[in-house]
Amino acid sequence: MNVREVFEACSEANTPAIPFCDDNGHISGRVTLKNILLKSCLPEFMVEMAMVLGEQLSHMQDMGTETRQLLDNPVDPYVQKPHISLTSDSPAIKALALMERNDTSYIFVVDEGRYLGVITIHSLANALVSFENRS
Amino acid sequence: MHGEPGLAAHVIFGWDPLWVSSILFVATYAVIISEKVNRAIVAGLGAGLMVTLGVLNQQTAISGIDFNTLGLLAGMMVIVAITRESGVFQYVAVWSAKKVKASPWGILLMLSLVTAVFSAMLDNVTTVLLIAPVTLLICHELKVNPYPFLYAEIFASNIGGTATLIGDPPNIMIGSAVGLTFNQFLLNLAPITPVILAVTLGIIYLVWGRSMEASPEARERIMNFREREAITDVKLLKQSLSVLALVILGFVLAHPLRLEPATIAMFGAAVLLLLSNFRNSAEEQSESVHEIFGKIEWITIFFFIGLFIAVKGIEEAGVLGILADMVISYTGGDLQVTAMAILWVSAIASAIVDNIPFVATMIPVIKSMAPTFGGAENLMPLWWALALGACLGGNGSLVGASANLIVAGFAERAGHRIRFLPFMLMAFPMMLISIAIASLYMYLRYL
Repeated sequence: MNVREVFEACSEANTPAIPFCDDNGHISGRVTLKNILLKSCLPEFMVEMAMVLGEQLSHMQDMGTETRQLLDNPVDPYVQKPHISLTSDSPAIKALALMERNDTSYIFVVDEGRYLGVITIHSLANALVSFENRS
Repeated sequence: MHGEPGLAAHVIFGWDPLWVSSILFVATYAVIISEKVNRAIVAGLGAGLMVTLGVLNQQTAISGIDFNTLGLLAGMMVIVAITRESGVFQYVAVWSAKKVKASPWGILLMLSLVTAVFSAMLDNVTTVLLIAPVTLLICHELKVNPYPFLYAEIFASNIGGTATLIGDPPNIMIGSAVGLTFNQFLLNLAPITPVILAVTLGIIYLVWGRSMEASPEARERIMNFREREAITDVKLLKQSLSVLALVILGFVLAHPLRLEPATIAMFGAAVLLLLSNFRNSAEEQSESVHEIFGKIEWITIFFFIGLFIAVKGIEEAGVLGILADMVISYTGGDLQVTAMAILWVSAIASAIVDNIPFVATMIPVIKSMAPTFGGAENLMPLWWALALGACLGGNGSLVGASANLIVAGFAERAGHRIRFLPFMLMAFPMMLISIAIASLYMYLRYL
């Protein structure tokens, strides 16, 4: 799998991360958009100095080539340890509590270790609006 | 304190305290040098064993801790942690780069001067933490190699830190242990630091400066930086700079005010915490104070506590007295030879090992030389020799000072690894040149 495929999968599922599964479908890690972008595009010193950056930056000169290189990169160097997860029968409030506790906006949903999907803070808000509309 | 005041130390199994304390101290030192275990843990274990094995009782161990050093360090850490939130340091760094029209050598010169001045007024570790990211960003946009810039800043931070009581931990320790004031450091050490910095920058110019170039487009990118946007909180900026100025004024007037530097720093920290939390709710205050206290370098504070106790152990056991006698027998009790020996040995030792444990050990050794040289008042040249040697010696290698390692860390994460040997091959001789200048200064002024 390369970075391009991860970006496409995240965009399609509207989620900031996707799980990295082994041959049995069990989650063995995760790949996040943030980690890929931070590691490949954003040096630490630029974060420290974010406020003073002007309109012209040297990054823009080689943007086309650098973007192509990044998208063709294999995803393996960006795989992180597995994220928190919960089962599909867990109450939504538990998902929200876990997100707050772990300072994240998404949680993977699993069944006996197998990946089922992802619940995000946006999908929770969506579900509440849908529930209100139905009632 | 819960220990019985009269509870005497008694080494287990009746072992000789001289040997037990020496072995413990050397082992502690060796593990610190190996950098395999965090230095605060090692110092804590060494201190704990000094007490549990009976070299010291708890009361004596605690009496070895220099709370003036700890108070000064902690107070300044709080003041700097709040001040840096305002963005003033980034502002000054970018402003100074634009002042020289983004010319690479001009930037190197300006950033080195800013580093030296900030290191003298705050501390050199904080300074490089703030300057290194600016430097890497500027070099990245200029498309120039950041190594000469970072190299110059390492030197500038250690040279600038040498100039004042608060610039470098060895000075804080010496000042506190001997009762030297901020002004005494300023009058005795600050005059030589601009000379050493000028010579250092001259060498850097000859090696790298002459061939530094950047395209007009690259320089234009630097000129487009928005330094004013670095100032995120104008109110906090005014508050923190006012308190910092008052604290430095307090250090200058400490003697007539009959105040210790730690009192001034801690009081300044409390005032700045109050001002920065003015009109905040109780919950917001708790959160803010908790966050600021989290930025105190507790590893350094606990390292000092453990180290002070470990040094007290060998002092009480008589090891340091023997060491002092050995130094005097080698130097023949001559003040000039002893001062030069302390200056050069401190410099070379500080390039190889952390200068904090070295200075902590040397302070009681020098103190115990007072009778040989006719009283404590005649030891002044030795204190300046120790301060100059320990602070400037930090430039001799990448592990010589905490500031060096911080710069190396930033550089490595940005893909510009600073290698130990190539750095030392140039830095060590340059450090020796700075010590030669310091020797001449010492000779002309004190000996």
